[in-house]
Amino acid sequence: MLKKAYDWIDERLNVTPLWRDVADHDVPAHVNPAIKMSAFVYCFGGLTFLIITTQILSGMFLAMYYTPDITNAWYSVKYIDDQVLLGQVVRGMHFWGASLVIIMMFLHMLRVFFTGAYKKPRELNWVVGVLIFFVVLGLGFTGYLLPWDQKAYWATAVGSQIAGSIPWIGPYIQTLLLGSHVVGALTLTRFYAIHVFFLPAALLVLLALHFIMIRTQHIAGPL
Amino acid sequence: MAAGGERIPGTPRYRHHLMRHPGTEPFFPNFLLKEWIVGSVFLLSFMLWIVFNPVDLGPRANPDDTSFIPVPDWYFLFLYQILKYYPGNYEIFGTFLLPMVGGLLLLFTPWLDVSKERHPFQRPIPTAAMVLATLLTIWLTNEAAVQHQAEVAQASGQVTTPGLPVLPRIPASQIHLVDTNMPGYQLFEQTCANCHGKAGEGGLGPPIYAIGRYWNAKQLKDFVDKGAGMMPPRGTLSSEQQVQEVVDWLVKQKG
Repeated sequence: MLKKAYDWIDERLNVTPLWRDVADHDVPAHVNPAIKMSAFVYCFGGLTFLIITTQILSGMFLAMYYTPDITNAWYSVKYIDDQVLLGQVVRGMHFWGASLVIIMMFLHMLRVFFTGAYKKPRELNWVVGVLIFFVVLGLGFTGYLLPWDQKAYWATAVGSQIAGSIPWIGPYIQTLLLGSHVVGALTLTRFYAIHVFFLPAALLVLLALHFIMIRTQHIAGPL
Repeated sequence: MAAGGERIPGTPRYRHHLMRHPGTEPFFPNFLLKEWIVGSVFLLSFMLWIVFNPVDLGPRANPDDTSFIPVPDWYFLFLYQILKYYPGNYEIFGTFLLPMVGGLLLLFTPWLDVSKERHPFQRPIPTAAMVLATLLTIWLTNEAAVQHQAEVAQASGQVTTPGLPVLPRIPASQIHLVDTNMPGYQLFEQTCANCHGKAGEGGLGPPIYAIGRYWNAKQLKDFVDKGAGMMPPRGTLSSEQQVQEVVDWLVKQKG
């Protein structure tokens, strides 16, 4: 039955080569910690992706209760913490996961740098990786405001002032981010939209490019 | 034993005859299974960490309270610290030029380090540059954190009872006490609340609305039994029994 359904789809869409490519490719020995323990440094990229996945999942559940307006935002986070079943755990995942992504990504970047894996022909994948780093920093910056507590508010106030002090374009960036001259109601809705729609969309596209390039170029050989 | 020889019994050997290099193994299912094991151990430790480190929700944003000392999340601290070294007219170095140059250097690394050598010891300049940049980032982050702590300690220079956890003063309307049907709460309302406020928001005495987050029942009882500063022994409660009831309720208040 299952086989028939698969064949029916495969006949029309030819999906076999797609998953065969992912499933059947050989993983070289020098990146396999089961063969050489020191190869654990090759795990950081995968762990970054794992945490990004949990970030997306926990974020989707948080969005079920979170209210992005300045009168209710703080109370909705309080409600998640105090009333929602496992709310504190899900918020904990999202909060600590944010820091963990940064740490894992930084370690992954150091690994790629010190093994010289960004050299020809993999220059573009390094560039995409750095862009992913910037997008994740953007996610961290916008997400920090959402609980609407004192430290969130004042960190964003200072952060946007810094952006505003950039010559020429600074004031425009500030207005674009804040929707106003000060951190307020519009800022919260903008940061929410950027945090849950704009940046995740960019992140998913960049991740797809990152992985497709790894599959076409393969992992760099041993040193 | 080479990992290429380990197979999950019964799984087909796709393209096995094409593997030229000893030690390679197929991504699925062999390698992916190991990745899952690493991932599971990682996730388990992560979840344990979360359960034992609940996230703090600070007092609600108050744009009028300019006394709050702002600080970014820890991974922006190194950028924040750079700002302090370029005051006044040179501000632009810290706010824009240095971060920009750093970002561009990182982005265009493949075109800056064009030698064919991949081993880090074979290309000492890029390796040394990255080591230095990493150490500098860590040092800046630490410096910012230390300076921020010192600033907060200085600002909250109010006299507090030694050993008593300091809770921020927040309006009573933002405090949600739990288990208010316990007998301890009624005693609290009649006695402790006179100094500590109906919601434990603080008054004559310090705020204690989330004291359960810092002290366990034994620490609380010892403190209340002895009293401190303006607080008489046992507060103004009349018996051991009453102290115990109040303490039983207080430890549940975790903010």
